[in-house]
Amino acid sequence: MGKVKIKKKSTLIDMTAMSDVTVLLLTFFMLTSTFIQKEPTTVRTPSSVSVEAIPAKDLVTILVSAADPNDKSGDPTLTEGKIFLAFQGDSTIKSEDLRKDILKAAISTYNQRHPSKKLSNPTEAQIDAFSKIQMFGVPFESLYEVLDMDPVARDKYLSDIQNPKVGIPINDNKEKKVEKYNEFQIWMDALAKVAQKGRTDAIEKNKLDEYNDADKEKIRDLDILYNAIYQGNSIAVKADKDTPFMTIHRVFDNLQTMGLNKFNMITNLKAEEAVKD
Amino acid sequence: MAQIDTSNDGGKKKKGAQKKIAIHVDFTPMVDMNMLLITFFMLCTTMLKSQTLKIMLPSNDNRIKDEQKQQASKDEAITLILDTEYDANGKPLIDKDGNTVHNIFYYKGMPDTINADAIKLEHFMANVDGKRQGIRKILFKEHEKTVVAYDQLKQRFRNKEIDKKTFDDEAKKLGTDSMMNGKKLVHPVVIIKPGPNATYESLVYAIDELNGLLIQKYAIQGLTHTDTLMLRNYGKANGKEVIRPNIRKR
Repeated sequence: MGKVKIKKKSTLIDMTAMSDVTVLLLTFFMLTSTFIQKEPTTVRTPSSVSVEAIPAKDLVTILVSAADPNDKSGDPTLTEGKIFLAFQGDSTIKSEDLRKDILKAAISTYNQRHPSKKLSNPTEAQIDAFSKIQMFGVPFESLYEVLDMDPVARDKYLSDIQNPKVGIPINDNKEKKVEKYNEFQIWMDALAKVAQKGRTDAIEKNKLDEYNDADKEKIRDLDILYNAIYQGNSIAVKADKDTPFMTIHRVFDNLQTMGLNKFNMITNLKAEEAVKD
Repeated sequence: MAQIDTSNDGGKKKKGAQKKIAIHVDFTPMVDMNMLLITFFMLCTTMLKSQTLKIMLPSNDNRIKDEQKQQASKDEAITLILDTEYDANGKPLIDKDGNTVHNIFYYKGMPDTINADAIKLEHFMANVDGKRQGIRKILFKEHEKTVVAYDQLKQRFRNKEIDKKTFDDEAKKLGTDSMMNGKKLVHPVVIIKPGPNATYESLVYAIDELNGLLIQKYAIQGLTHTDTLMLRNYGKANGKEVIRPNIRKR
């Protein structure tokens, strides 16, 4: 009897094609992605039908914390309305450099405002640490303490919004005088100063005349940050949809006081049925 | 594919020919690693970019504020009083579709504290069967001519009858022009008054409605005594408690 020979088949699967596909996918994700920003607390933004995308550069994000649902104290106002700031530069002014300049300007304004509680000049290491924080929010009193922490401990410290020492102090101040500024206004003022300085530097460097029409156009192109701030493209308020308006109003009021009347509110896209007539 | 087939099938072996080895490269680990990387990138990135809603507030300067107030209290102004319903736990009330319940009390023109029906209740509603609903329907009536003209303009742009620049210019003009084809065009002034219990979402929704209806003149103000009085009248007439103190204050 002839035995039926079973042909042995190789179980090897050729993975080359698979590898090609995955590499392609990987390239796609690497090129299209923008990393999620590290934020101390998460907020659920309200939705709108506006299709305007938020600019990726030259942006100040003002994060207003929502009431912490895990807070046992029963008083939502303790964790609600804490302010965090994130500064984003562009290709001409790098985010790191922008943050360094803002820190220096803010500390000098703070010292001017509080002659009795003067802060020393920050060390190089502290400035460097500040330039690497994406989003921060601590009062000036504990600023250096937080900057001296290692990054992991700092993130942990910042995300503990029940801590009364977290969040930039903000109160109702409707006077635009440097002696009256609250800490939030000091930071916004520092940003405006840095932008203003960038503008004057650019004008000087290129020997432009502000009153000449041809030059005006050039100045506008040169100084993106300055224009972005005063034309309302670069300030974005990010707040939770269930936060009472009263809390948000305080932020709006402070921005108005600083003369920053135009700004953005970050929202989610909402699909809406079209109107048929 | 990943192997180089060098087997000499059945041919006579030449003396001194080089020994040929089949080269197999196993790509499985490579695929594994790539998959891991893809997973990492997928989890760490935001594909959806957030949108923004532009808002323009009047200056805080006292002088300007008075002028603005005078302008806003004109007869054609529409006042929207925002209010959010809260449940027993102190959380915003959610309806069966998962949306927060926002009440909008609105009145047109000067406040009227005598007639209880001077102030009416509406809600933010999505379009149903291509028809505007809720507060959008009310506001649309006030700005109908402009919105219709804008829609026609958009249609012409979509049909490529006009270019982008013309469209932008014309659209901008529509929002501010006081005349259109020899007819008077009225742009309503809206005053948004968030009440003590209004959430941030209600304000964003209100501004979103105004943007959608091309209403550019609006102001955000606090409630006045007259408004409270009107709300009380409404409550009495409808047997409903509409003035609630700030629920968050304990």
